[in-house]
Order: sequence, then structure tokens, then C-alpha cells
Amino acid sequence: MLPATVDAAPPPPQAAVSAALTTTSVRVTSGFHGARIVLYGAIFDPAAGPSDVVVIVRGPEQPVRIARKIRVGGVWINSRPVVFRGAPGFYRTASTRPLDQIAGFGVLRRLGAGIDHLAIEAPDEQRVETRYGVRDMVVSRLGADYLEWRQAVVRLKQSAGLYDTDDQGVVFVDRGLFKSEIDLPTVAPIGRYRAQIVLFQHGQPVSQRVCDFTVEKVGAERALYVFAHERPWSYGLASVTIALAAGWAASAAFRRA
Amino acid sequence: LDFYLPIAEISVNAPLLVALGAAVGFISGMFGIGGGFLMTPILVLMGIPPAVAVASLASHVAASSTSSVISYTRARAVDFRMGGVLAAGGAMGSVMGVEVFRWLRLMGQADLVVALSYLIFLGIIGGLMLTESLGSILRARRGDPPPPRRDRRPPWLYGLPLKLRFPRSRLYISVIPPILLGLFVGVLSAVMGVGGGFILVPAMVYVLRMPAGVVVGTSLFQIIITTTLTSVLQAGRNQTVDIVLATLLLIGGVLGAQLGAKASSRFRAEELRAILALIVLAVGLRMGLGLFLTPADPFVLMTGNG
Repeated sequence: MLPATVDAAPPPPQAAVSAALTTTSVRVTSGFHGARIVLYGAIFDPAAGPSDVVVIVRGPEQPVRIARKIRVGGVWINSRPVVFRGAPGFYRTASTRPLDQIAGFGVLRRLGAGIDHLAIEAPDEQRVETRYGVRDMVVSRLGADYLEWRQAVVRLKQSAGLYDTDDQGVVFVDRGLFKSEIDLPTVAPIGRYRAQIVLFQHGQPVSQRVCDFTVEKVGAERALYVFAHERPWSYGLASVTIALAAGWAASAAFRRA
Repeated sequence: LDFYLPIAEISVNAPLLVALGAAVGFISGMFGIGGGFLMTPILVLMGIPPAVAVASLASHVAASSTSSVISYTRARAVDFRMGGVLAAGGAMGSVMGVEVFRWLRLMGQADLVVALSYLIFLGIIGGLMLTESLGSILRARRGDPPPPRRDRRPPWLYGLPLKLRFPRSRLYISVIPPILLGLFVGVLSAVMGVGGGFILVPAMVYVLRMPAGVVVGTSLFQIIITTTLTSVLQAGRNQTVDIVLATLLLIGGVLGAQLGAKASSRFRAEELRAILALIVLAVGLRMGLGLFLTPADPFVLMTGNG
């Protein structure tokens, strides 16, 4: 056996990507109306090959409860709610071209790039059984409707501005220098976010970079939120006291007038 | 001028909420109801999560009720003893109601039960009040004598044990009917996010046969006690009270309630009841309508995790 040769040809210089965010912490104050974060990045590629950039932003994971409206005796009621896990509270992909033109199905799936490749599951609905003689098949109680449920999760999140795909969301502003804008809606969940920047060449990811940022309540908003969750009973008493005092004050003011 | 609500986690227009609070407070002071049955549906339509709307509203209702109860107390129009008995039942009811609501949310049926309760209760109460008040308005127009007042109170009101004297209402009845009434209203108040005045007021007039003069003040007094309790329970148990939302609403609410209480003396009682009946019917039908219309999207996301 010959040892593997390393000197057949000089390895092509590796392309690399680098990126940074204009903000690493989004502050939620009383005037919070959503936020825009700008991501700048650069590609270092001595070979100057054709490059594509995909930016995937994920927010903190939030389980989703979803119900289907069904008609019973002329009245629309909710079905039993189904819980989907693995759904990020915020998800956005931005790319230089449509994702399916940049890379193949398997590559995108492994990266979790694109809404279709998000690992959203309803584990409580699944059970393992033997079907057609095949053991350990994962079967969902939602049956054939499973895809429809999953699509509904995505559709409702999209209409709330929480899920988005922008296939022109990454633009080159100069040679090797690109930019992408991340818009967070007011309803964006509080927590840690991760932006994953992937450089593609010839359909393969060749370089990756990760930038984290946080969305957090600050000032009075944070103080009230912490108060409400850490000392809920005192919080309740305080809010009722304000209410009763305000009622009394208004009455006293009007009496004098 | 938008405000971010720290618990509801959405942004709302502050002047709009204050104006809304004032409008509902006006109706509240005028008719002696909490106004929750109006406010809850409006807040939910504005996109505030129902659980937060219901819980935060309780303290708004408490504020505007306090504001008008003080005026009624000066006019000696509050039966504190009756209010206390009703509130004892109401306290038990709201503890039960908060638990029932938690369970309903877990089953995903909270929307259905809330919409059905609005349709059924507001529909029945509004319909009855409208018929009755239109009848007396018409009689007054034609100059007919009022029908002989049926002073014969239902015998079961007197046959029950545990009688108590209510001097302000000129009643000597068992405490069981008022406690049951309070209990029922307490459950509804937690489930529907209402004070329950729209049920209490007619029940006090037609079932307990209390004199009309003390009904409104007493109902408001009992509403303060139940909503105060509900508000603390919701904050402690579910962390769903948004203090910023509640404060914005009650700034307008307390002022509106004062003006409403003043305005109410300019109208005749049956005219007031007819207007209230129309409002109640309209809200009930609007909430119930959603049950029959085909939804725009067959799926719905549920907020919270139970």
C-alpha cells in the first residue's frame, strides 16, 4: 500500500467569509417598534470564483401550539391543539439567489437552510410501530394531514412577520463586500439569536461564520417584566393598589371641581 | 405615540387606549356595570393576547368601579351588606373561574367557551332588557298606568334558611340566593374577563327584587371586590397582568366613569336600560358571529403554553 500522496497538486487556496453585525444587542424599551440590524461581510477568495452567500438568522426556540378549526353542527370550533417543537421563534434566510439555485436539497437540509428544511416536529403525535412488515416506522397521528399542519405553522408565523425568506436579501455592495438587513418585528421574541453566514461555491458550503446577538428588555420594561415573573403576588397587589388609588383620586378630584 | 407593553409583548397606540378606557368608563359609570364585556372583545380585536386582556382588564374595571362607587356612596345608594354577601360568593367563583380558564386553555377550547358565553349570556340578558324597557317606554308614551307591581316575591326566596336583614334594600331574605348569584358571576368574570354587572344588575332587580336606587351602587361595590381578587389571582397564578396596559386604560376609565355617573341622572331609567340592552345585544352577536363565519385561515396559533 502506498502512503497517500500530498504533493500531487498544490491545494487551491481556500475561500473564506467574514462578517459582523452593526448591533449585538437589541434593546426593547417602551418605544420599541421592531429593529433593523445590518450585517456586513467580506469574501476572501484569491481565485475569485463565483460565490453565493446565505445568511440564516434563528431566534430562540419556542414550542408552537396550533389548532385546526373544524365545523361541528354549523359552529366552528377548535380541534385538539397540536404542539410542534423545534420551531425557532424567529427565522429568516437571506441569500444572493434563490436557495435551490445555490445548492442541492441534501446540502440545504443538512444546514437547515430554508423554511422547508426547518426541523419542526410534533413529537407528541408520533409513535413508533411496525407497518408493512417494517419495524420502527415513525408514524404521526395527524396522518396524511401532517404536511398541512406543518405548512400552517409556517404560514401563520410568516404572516406575523416572524418567518421570512428573501432570495435577494444579500447584496454585494462592492467587490467581495456584501450586506444584508435583518428586520425584527415588534413581536420578535426576547432571547438569543444566531446569524449563520455561509459561503457557497459550486453548490458546496466552503466557509461559515456565526454572529450572535440578543434581543432584551431594558429599563422599566425589564424591571416590570422581572417583577411580574419573580414576585407575581406582590406585582398583583401593586397593580390593584394603583387601580384603586386612581379610582379614588379621580373621584376626589371631581368632587372638588 | 406607541407604547410597548412589557407583558403582552406588543406595541400599542397609547392615546387610543386612553380614549377607549374613557369611552368604556363612561358607559360603566352610566349604567353601573364594569364595562368588561365591551372592553375584552375590543382589546382582543386589537391583537392583545386574550389571557393578558382578560387579566389586565380586571384592574381597569376595579379602578373605574371605585371611581363611581364613591359617588354612589355619597348618595347613600350602596347596600354594603348585600354587596359583601354577593362578594363572598364572587370570591369563591373567581377562584374556581381562574382554574376553569386554565383548563380550557389547555384543551384549546377557551375561544369557543368565551364566544359561546358572550353569545348566550349577552343575547339573553340584552333581549330580556330590551323587551322590558321598550314595554315601559311605550306604556309611558301612551299614558297607560304601569302594570300592578308584583310585590309577591318568589316564595323560595323566603323559604330558605340563613335569613339576614338588609336594611338598605328593605329586604329580609336568605343569604343563599345572593351567594349563588355571586358565585355564578365570579366564574363568568374570570372566564369572560368581565365584572359581571350586566348579569348582576338585572338579577338584583328581577330575582332579589332590590329597590332600583341601590342596585347600581351595590353591583359596582361587589364588582370591585371580585375584580380586585381576580386581578391578584391572575397575576400570581398566570403572570398575565400587564400593568402598563391596565394603567393606560384606567387613566381614561376613571375620568369617563365620573362623567358617566353624572350623565346618568339626565336620563330616565327605562331609557338607560334600553340603550344598555342594545349595546349588550350588539356585543353578544358580534362575538357569536365568529362561531358561524368560515374562518379566513383554517388553522389558528394558540398563545402561551397552557
